[in-house]
Amino acid sequence: MEYLTLQNIGLVTGFMLMLIGLYGALTQKNILRIIVAFTIFDAGLNLVIVALSYIKGRVAPIIDQTTGVTNLSEKFVDPIPQALVLTSIVIGVGVTGVMLTFALRMFKTRHSLDINDFKQTKW
Amino acid sequence: MVSPVHIVSIGLITAFLLGLGKKSQQQMLVFVLMIATAAMTMVSGSWLIGLMTGSLKPTDVFTAGFKPPFAINLRMTMDEAVLTTMVNVFGFLTVIYLFDVLKKAGKHLLSIIVVFLIGLNVVVMTRDLFNLFVFLEITSIATAGLVIIIQDSKSISAGFKFLMASSVISGILLIGIIFAYSYVGNLNIDFMTNLSMVKGGAVAVFLVMTAIILESKQFPANGWALDMYESAHPAIGSALSAVSAPAILFVVYKLMPMVPENWHPVIGLLGLITFAFSNFLATRQENIRRMLGYSSVAQGGLMLTVVAMSVYFGQSFWFIILGFLLTNFFAKAGLFWLNGIVNSDDQNKWGILRKRPVLFFLFGVFVVAMAGLPPFPTFFAKWEMIMQLAQGNGWGWIVLILLGSIFEIAFLFKWFGRVFHAVKDQPAEPVIPWFKEFPVMLFGAGILATSYYFIKYQQFDNLFVLIPLLIVAAFVVIDFLPAFIKNILLIAALTFYGYIIYPEIKGNIMQLVFMSVFLVGGILTLIPGFATKGTRAGFYPFAAMTIFGLIMLVNPGDNLTFFMGWEQMALGSYILILRGKKAERPAQQYMLFSAGGAYLMLAAFGMLPHFAGDTFFGNLSGLIPGAGVVFVLFALGFMLKTAAIGLHIWLPGAYSEAEDDATPLVSGVLINAGVLGLFWIVTSFGPQQLFGYDIFQLMGWIGAITAIGGNMLAIYEEDMKRLIAYSSVGAMGYIIFALSMDSKLGLLIALYYMVLHFIYKTMLFMSAAGVIYRTKTRNMYEMGGLIKSMPWSFIVVLIGIITLAGMPPLAGFAGKWMFYNAVVMKGWYLQGTMVFFSGIVAFLYLYKLIASVFLGQLKDNHRRVKEAPFVYLLPQFIFVIAIMVLSIFPQVLLEPLATIIPDRVPGEAILWDGRLAMTSFGYWNAFAVMTTVIVMFATIFLWLTYHSRKAQKVKQFNIVFAAERPFRPETTHVSYNMFAGYKKALGWLMTPLATQFWTGISDWSTAIADKVRSWYTGNGQTYAMHLLLYAFVLYLLISGGKIL
Repeated sequence: MEYLTLQNIGLVTGFMLMLIGLYGALTQKNILRIIVAFTIFDAGLNLVIVALSYIKGRVAPIIDQTTGVTNLSEKFVDPIPQALVLTSIVIGVGVTGVMLTFALRMFKTRHSLDINDFKQTKW
Repeated sequence: MVSPVHIVSIGLITAFLLGLGKKSQQQMLVFVLMIATAAMTMVSGSWLIGLMTGSLKPTDVFTAGFKPPFAINLRMTMDEAVLTTMVNVFGFLTVIYLFDVLKKAGKHLLSIIVVFLIGLNVVVMTRDLFNLFVFLEITSIATAGLVIIIQDSKSISAGFKFLMASSVISGILLIGIIFAYSYVGNLNIDFMTNLSMVKGGAVAVFLVMTAIILESKQFPANGWALDMYESAHPAIGSALSAVSAPAILFVVYKLMPMVPENWHPVIGLLGLITFAFSNFLATRQENIRRMLGYSSVAQGGLMLTVVAMSVYFGQSFWFIILGFLLTNFFAKAGLFWLNGIVNSDDQNKWGILRKRPVLFFLFGVFVVAMAGLPPFPTFFAKWEMIMQLAQGNGWGWIVLILLGSIFEIAFLFKWFGRVFHAVKDQPAEPVIPWFKEFPVMLFGAGILATSYYFIKYQQFDNLFVLIPLLIVAAFVVIDFLPAFIKNILLIAALTFYGYIIYPEIKGNIMQLVFMSVFLVGGILTLIPGFATKGTRAGFYPFAAMTIFGLIMLVNPGDNLTFFMGWEQMALGSYILILRGKKAERPAQQYMLFSAGGAYLMLAAFGMLPHFAGDTFFGNLSGLIPGAGVVFVLFALGFMLKTAAIGLHIWLPGAYSEAEDDATPLVSGVLINAGVLGLFWIVTSFGPQQLFGYDIFQLMGWIGAITAIGGNMLAIYEEDMKRLIAYSSVGAMGYIIFALSMDSKLGLLIALYYMVLHFIYKTMLFMSAAGVIYRTKTRNMYEMGGLIKSMPWSFIVVLIGIITLAGMPPLAGFAGKWMFYNAVVMKGWYLQGTMVFFSGIVAFLYLYKLIASVFLGQLKDNHRRVKEAPFVYLLPQFIFVIAIMVLSIFPQVLLEPLATIIPDRVPGEAILWDGRLAMTSFGYWNAFAVMTTVIVMFATIFLWLTYHSRKAQKVKQFNIVFAAERPFRPETTHVSYNMFAGYKKALGWLMTPLATQFWTGISDWSTAIADKVRSWYTGNGQTYAMHLLLYAFVLYLLISGGKIL
């Protein structure tokens, strides 16, 4: 049972989500579903980042009355990944947005959202 | 000094400003963007200049008030200065180039361009791993936006595929970054060099590196990139190839210190596989943009190899990478931009470039630079790379590079040749706005300037390398002048060059002989050019390049100069051949075989230092043990030029389809380059073994078979030029045979025959040119009876064929006499008999040549044909005089030639006693033979004249025709299907085995390429799958199946 820590649960769940996302992105034929799959992949990825920086018994790196101002490094989880994950989420949203825009345009050109209908360039 | 961070800040401010603009102000906004990119260029450019001159020191820019690793830092050293300047100059020119598009597009597109540039600048400068990730993502999003400037279904779906691929890649990258962080506790690249030592850290390095390698579009996980190249606006394809790819490769370079050393070769090989395969697949592309895409990917692969092996290349690294990087930057961008100007992916439409000489010239420059031919930087970079790899015995690597290079040449020159000949059916004068032309011209100037510095850097700015190149360049500049002025100038330049170079070489008879052949041959073959009217655009620069290339071969001093001369000669003559009306395919074949030969030689040059150090290959002392492979590679390379049997199929087409008055130069003169090379390897290597076989023995057989084969092929030719061309194959077989005897007499025969073949072949081709000039046909069965109207040409051909046939009293007999002696001394009776037999075969086609053209019935349509122009006849008669002198006094040539042959060569030499030549088998006196023949001839002639004094003169139609009038009169011509009987008997010998073999190779490679490229299904999901598979395979390769 010693492996059943919050960090490990987070990591495993994160990687599972990533795999599910990848699987979806590679097998779904509908472009919107592919995009959704990629957001699942992103979510898993972000979860992995957060889980990696989690240290048992510590709190989020925000200074308030409960934390005081001394010995902060022993009270906080690693703040860097927490910050990184924000950036990562933002980028994920950005990419999803762009992908959705492309999906819209693709639908307008061919009236289809099946990825197999967009193989004009090949070989 | 302006801090490099302002490159970013200028960009950001501009992006915001653009956001504030209104739709009606679009044109002004484009100017704002132009100014911003110019300002960004100035910041990075000033750093570049400052760092180059030493007035600035490499620097780090810290952010957020902390030092790394606690905050992000941007670095500006020479590397970053070069790359950011490239990015920003390119950005500036892209804005100019896209002026018309941007004026109409919304302001968002302008912002996207700025963001794209910011992204690349930071990717180059940052030292922080996460920051790198962020800006790679920003660049990716901006790229996706740029891809859909053309909003059609193709580009939109390509953009989506790209987004899918980049999502997968960034996922891998981010996981890697986070693992890296969790192992070392910071994100700064400079603090991570030990990452792979930490337990588990290697996995992090692997993930980060894999992501970046995938991002650099390596084969075969790059379908998404190819689709993008194919569908995006050419200006964007240009950006992806010229700046995006280098920026990513620079990231690889930054990350290399943290990669364990035993991974370097793996990554390097991946790059070379990309190089070889992408070029291979490009050969099957009809669509220009996709072809350029393949080519860009291939170049990226090659650069990845260099970057991954930077430690291995050591001192040479910068030289090699800059060579590839700058060429790819200027040339690939230029080609994409030209694609935008032509506005078509169909090669035939590119003919409109022919209407713009400057653009067409630059197109040629870009193609040649990409192909790695001199004098462009890739040529030197490739040479250095091969030499370095050879030093470490990296033969497999060299094979991949050379394979990739030959495929590259195949598709580049197929394209070039098509465009060269696609001038017909083009709209009158294309309208090309200045802002489209300007960037192309600037980059054209860029590649030329870079080449100049590469030549200067290697201290080739001397009489033998730089001066000839400048002369070639001068002829490019004065190309608008009338042909006769340029002809005078080139002849004058060659004469003057001969005058100043004479003191340098007069002590060396070997050099003197070959220099005379190339220089005098060059000058004499130019003389018929005076009959050409108009400007003859594009002829003279390449005639100059060919002749000077040949001259470089004679006095190279080192291997690189020789190889450079060789490639220049090949390039120049390729263009001369391509100029012929139907020469597109023959010229392509010529180029491919030339390149094949050159690359075999290049491999040989790489191996040579293992045996002989830095010595020039022609100056070895002889008897170098165990260098059989080197010898064979060299020999194959040179025998491709001399068209030994099996390797000869390019020759008849190339010689016969070249312009008629250019043929003497590309045949009679140029073929001696191969002889020069063969002579050098035979004398300087000495006898060699390959798998226990005596190579000279083998070469002797090749020579004998070539002699027979070439002559057999000649006798059935109906085409005058092809007949003479095949005769060259035969003559070269004879020379190869003579060389392979490796005896004093054998080598003397080879040299003597080289000079003789040069004289009579040049003469015959010129004479043929004169006849064709007048009769407008090359088919001999359409000629006949021209002796009356072209008596001087007849005399030249007569002298030529008597010499060729080796009959007394002319100079050819000397060769035959020595040949008997040499064969008997060597004891090669069987091969020797074959060569003699080939001489008899030669009689057949020589008879055909003179009988069907000059004798027999004059054709009705040739009744008014005049003698060939004086300028055609003049050089021919100079050659005739030379033959006459040699016939009477062969010792004039033979004695000096004998001194060239090194002492180590075994065998008996000729002893001269006045005019008497002696060997242990007998003697021969040319003067006496000549006198005897003249006396006999004169006697018979006088007797006949006396005897037939009452005979009646008969005109052509004063005869009685019998039987019916033939349906097609030409089929009754004596030379039509002449020697059909022999064909029946010996035709089986003529099965075009060589042609079948090479066609088979071509068909097979086509089929394989089609199979391989069907891997790129066009489906975004398949491409994403490729990425994962690639990562998986790479993991197996690196870890060997174990956990890292």
